[in-house]
Amino acid sequence: MARVLVVDDAAFMRKLVSDVLIKGGHEVVGEAGNGTEAVDRYAELRPEVTTLDITMPEKDGLAALREIIQLDPAARVVMCSALGQETKVLESIKAGAKDFVVKPFQAERVLEAVGKALA
Amino acid sequence: MSTEDALIKLGESTAEAAAGLLEMFAPGKVELGGVAVVPGDANPLEGLSVPAVATSVSYIDGVTGGNVLVLPLEGARLLAAAMMGMEQPEEPDAPALSELELSAVAEAANQMMAGAAGSTSSVLGTEVEISPPETRTFAALSEAAGAYPHTPHAVRISFTVCGEPCRLVQLVPNAFVVRMTRALDELDAEVHDPAPRDAAEAGSQASPSGPSLAGIPVRVWAELGRTQMPSAELVGLPSGAVVELDRQADEPIEVYVNGTLFATGRLMVVDGTDWAVRIETVRQHPNPEGETEVARWPESW
Repeated sequence: MARVLVVDDAAFMRKLVSDVLIKGGHEVVGEAGNGTEAVDRYAELRPEVTTLDITMPEKDGLAALREIIQLDPAARVVMCSALGQETKVLESIKAGAKDFVVKPFQAERVLEAVGKALA
Repeated sequence: MSTEDALIKLGESTAEAAAGLLEMFAPGKVELGGVAVVPGDANPLEGLSVPAVATSVSYIDGVTGGNVLVLPLEGARLLAAAMMGMEQPEEPDAPALSELELSAVAEAANQMMAGAAGSTSSVLGTEVEISPPETRTFAALSEAAGAYPHTPHAVRISFTVCGEPCRLVQLVPNAFVVRMTRALDELDAEVHDPAPRDAAEAGSQASPSGPSLAGIPVRVWAELGRTQMPSAELVGLPSGAVVELDRQADEPIEVYVNGTLFATGRLMVVDGTDWAVRIETVRQHPNPEGETEVARWPESW
């Protein structure tokens, strides 16, 4: 069980991911709807795991990921994006993400990624 | 390849990605209709019922253009309910969609376009990125007509969600068509051009295609085997990991010429250091009807 921050610009996706995490025994400590909010909420909440969308207004998920890692090099971030293009996956992992879940996803895949990030 | 052909190809690949995705969200409730090029002066949304919910996602970097997913209010509501795992909408008679319902529809459009951007990227050979979705509700079709930038071309993809007629409109600028046509022509040439064979045979006998084609350089590669895995697993592979391929060690390997399966043979070492292939069987001349086996990586998987 972990304290998780859920970041996605779509309220629907935040709800979907949160539901999956809660059913999986995790605690959703906060949500954010864009990259700027994500960095602010991370600094404030210091979650154990963060799920991060890529395509978002204001600041995209990759930029937010870099700032979060700068803030906390030990941050555990799982990217959760519909853009499954190879370069996005590689960029994310290089920037310090622990895993990459491509939408649309199965509930088990999200839980597995969060579990792996915690290990 | 004509502009119309390229537009239809683009529409078909998008339609496939879109229908596949909607089917995951609303199993058994999606029916794909036709793909058509919209004539220059026509309203691509003509014939849809209003009020309608329209979500637009534009391409950024790579390619200019956009896509608009238009669902009549009722269709949008039913899709949102299906995405949330409900048989019926929570408030079937509400005059407008709730924020959560709108967000579900926007997310469907976003994931749809991400899928389509992926397949467009592989055709064009450049990365295509997409913007976050923008959603609005139109009370009249005339409102929608002026809401998006006018592009010289548009493609209309019809489908139904829960029986409600919906539409995906692709707004396509000229530059896109030119690049798409060129990329598709190149792909076509790689698949169907018999020249590589002629060039390969030219050493021992007169080439039936004439001497002008005999000197064309061709790309030749050998394939040991294939496998498939989720991208996340791939990037997580530690050095030292063993990835199993689909072929037995005693099976022949395949030799491809410019993407076409040309021969099978055995892997060997020459001069004690260099890999080589001893050709065992050269395939019959490719059948123009399209029976050739093609290594169009990665689309062929």
